[in-house]
Amino acid sequence: MGAFDPLITYEKGTYIETDTGNKVSRRAVIAGATNIILGGKSIIQSGAILRGDLRRATAGQHVVISMGRYCLIGENAVLRPPGKIYKGVFTFYPVKIADYVHIGPSCVIEAAQIGHGVEIGKGCILGKFVIIKDLVVLLPDTVLPEGTVVPSLTVWGGNPGRCIESLPETYQETVEARCKGYYQRFRPSPSPSSVPA
Amino acid sequence: MSVLYNCPHLDQPHPPYPPSYPSSSSSFSPLSHLYFCEECDAIRCDQCVAVEVASYFCPNCLFDVPSANVRADRNKCARSCFACPLCKTSMAIQATETKSAEGSSVSGPPYLLVCPGCKWSSREIGWEFSKPTGLAHQLQKINTQQELVQSEFDALKDHLESYVSLSSTAPTYKSSSASRNPSRHISQLTQMAAKALHRDVPGMAASSARTRTRSLGFGVGKAGKEGPAEWDDLGEYKAKGSWKMIGLENGMQDVETMRELQETGGVGPAGLSSRWSNSWEADKMSKSMHPQRISLQTKSTKRCPDTGCRHLLIQPDAKGVRMKIKMVALNYVPSIELGRRKRRIQSGNLAQPTPEELERRRRDRRRVRGVVEEEDEDIRKRLQAGEVYNFQLAFTNPLYDPIQIRLTQPHQPKSAPTPNHLIFIPTQHFTVAALKDAWAYDDDEEEDDPMLGLEGSEGASEEGLGSVGKRSRLSALGSGSLRDKRGRDSGVDKKANTTKVGLEIEVLPGATGPVEFDLEVRYKYRADEPVHAEKEASGKEGASESIAGKEEYKTFTFWIRIKAGDVASA
Repeated sequence: MGAFDPLITYEKGTYIETDTGNKVSRRAVIAGATNIILGGKSIIQSGAILRGDLRRATAGQHVVISMGRYCLIGENAVLRPPGKIYKGVFTFYPVKIADYVHIGPSCVIEAAQIGHGVEIGKGCILGKFVIIKDLVVLLPDTVLPEGTVVPSLTVWGGNPGRCIESLPETYQETVEARCKGYYQRFRPSPSPSSVPA
Repeated sequence: MSVLYNCPHLDQPHPPYPPSYPSSSSSFSPLSHLYFCEECDAIRCDQCVAVEVASYFCPNCLFDVPSANVRADRNKCARSCFACPLCKTSMAIQATETKSAEGSSVSGPPYLLVCPGCKWSSREIGWEFSKPTGLAHQLQKINTQQELVQSEFDALKDHLESYVSLSSTAPTYKSSSASRNPSRHISQLTQMAAKALHRDVPGMAASSARTRTRSLGFGVGKAGKEGPAEWDDLGEYKAKGSWKMIGLENGMQDVETMRELQETGGVGPAGLSSRWSNSWEADKMSKSMHPQRISLQTKSTKRCPDTGCRHLLIQPDAKGVRMKIKMVALNYVPSIELGRRKRRIQSGNLAQPTPEELERRRRDRRRVRGVVEEEDEDIRKRLQAGEVYNFQLAFTNPLYDPIQIRLTQPHQPKSAPTPNHLIFIPTQHFTVAALKDAWAYDDDEEEDDPMLGLEGSEGASEEGLGSVGKRSRLSALGSGSLRDKRGRDSGVDKKANTTKVGLEIEVLPGATGPVEFDLEVRYKYRADEPVHAEKEASGKEGASESIAGKEEYKTFTFWIRIKAGDVASA
């Protein structure tokens, strides 16, 4: 799979690569970086906004955004933790993102949980406390209202989002290969001097 | 642009009908949707597998519903999951905020169902709940039909029941052939009618719940006699209530409805999608739509459809997305992709080929020679008639052993319409390396086996079909490295467990529509365990052969359909 997929290049120096293989754009806005955990080999593209500063009001260390491996936050996507009034006090709740999650460009995500192998198309809006189980596809421009639960192996689309069809049993392999492939193909563009003739 | 795989649908493997026969399309699916039965050694698809329900769950609260309860719950979630009557979003339960004595707001009963998508509230139809849990149960109590409707329904049922039970007991005594009493001869029908009469009707109390004394006395005396009067001995039913009693205000309602038909949204008629799941008698206006309980979903077990096999192909796990058994074609059959389109730049001779010339080329399946220049093109662009395109086909091996592939074009039926293109496969025989861990491939790149250079050369295709000869066998045995030195020259490109080979398509002048064609792929792999003679004889493919003593090889043939693109209309 993916034998003919082209390389995805970026200008060298515009991304910072961490020890665990995360590639984070210098032009991404990352607030409260100490409250964000990246699992490794994840990509955060330019213009993305991660709101790690929206943490629980109580003292102590709180993880706001946790993300697994081989994830992708697309360009200009916004990821912020959901919040609500609980017992009269407004509190933020953490966002948990599992492995192999691709979030398309220009999405606004306020979900509580995104499962393993979830693909979110471009321009999706996920309301507060949305729960997405494993292996789900959200078509581009899907809008999920607050508190929607998306069961595993389904495709959702529309505004408000509805279940459109189910995915084949092989989808886990497909999505894992695709996410790994994307990470491997996401490389700095060769500098002009070293371009082979 | 797609590559689809053929499923023989329980038939013996045979070449499918060409793409010009629209009926053949039903047996082609993407590889990811196909299953593989090891016992039958055959591809199975979603259309032919036997599906059984493994478990039921609510897609909203994700509760696993025991299958014993599903029928009683009418296949819907019996907890608190409701879908919005307007937008079908799952609804949230909202408490009412009230001011307490100290001035701070306290949330508590009554609870409402509120749609988080369109903000529709169940207050509009007067649904309020005292507890935030088990709404479906609370609702069942509120939502039974009014006494008038219920008693009318029961009376009508009793009336009909007396007739049905009467005629179903009748055949116990033989009536003479002269008396043509229809109810005697249709006892089966009346029994079915009796069953139907006892069926639960949504919204009405179950018949079993209301045991009533049957008025069997009705009409018994007449049943034995003969005469035309017995054709229908159903008495007249007197309704308890009458439509006349409701009066003329009903007419005014209709006028109001007609006025509202002009409106849209929350006032006008409801969309078909929201009316679809309601009962037959429902009001068609949006404002009378009620939230529906969310339908349950299932996880299904899939079995091989072969009557002698019935092996499990898919068995889901109740928890999570893992499968206990997962026999999918993706793990058995090489995956094939089409890519890297190149257009040949015509040099000079642009003369139209004569029909004889075309016929000869079709027969020979020979490459059009004399032109070399090619330019890369976007694969999504439309194809141009009269051009020659070069594609690459990538074969990825899912097995832990190298495989040898033979790629041919299946024979067309005599009466088939002539395709709008010609295909030339420069490399018909090649190998694909085994699947390994990612780090294991790097070592291979260093090694070089000169013998393998012979593989994939153009000469192989010239030798015809019988050339799965010594050479290729050797290569399968010497599986240390499959790197092809001359790969680039002959258009064969090997990397890890993927081999790319060339494919030439000449779109004929004046062609229209899609460029679609079938290819036959036959691959040879090493069998896991040595196959014994008896088993071999019963094998479907039957083509296992013993090579070099103990090594066992088997072949598997399948067909793929490739759509290379559409021809641009001139």
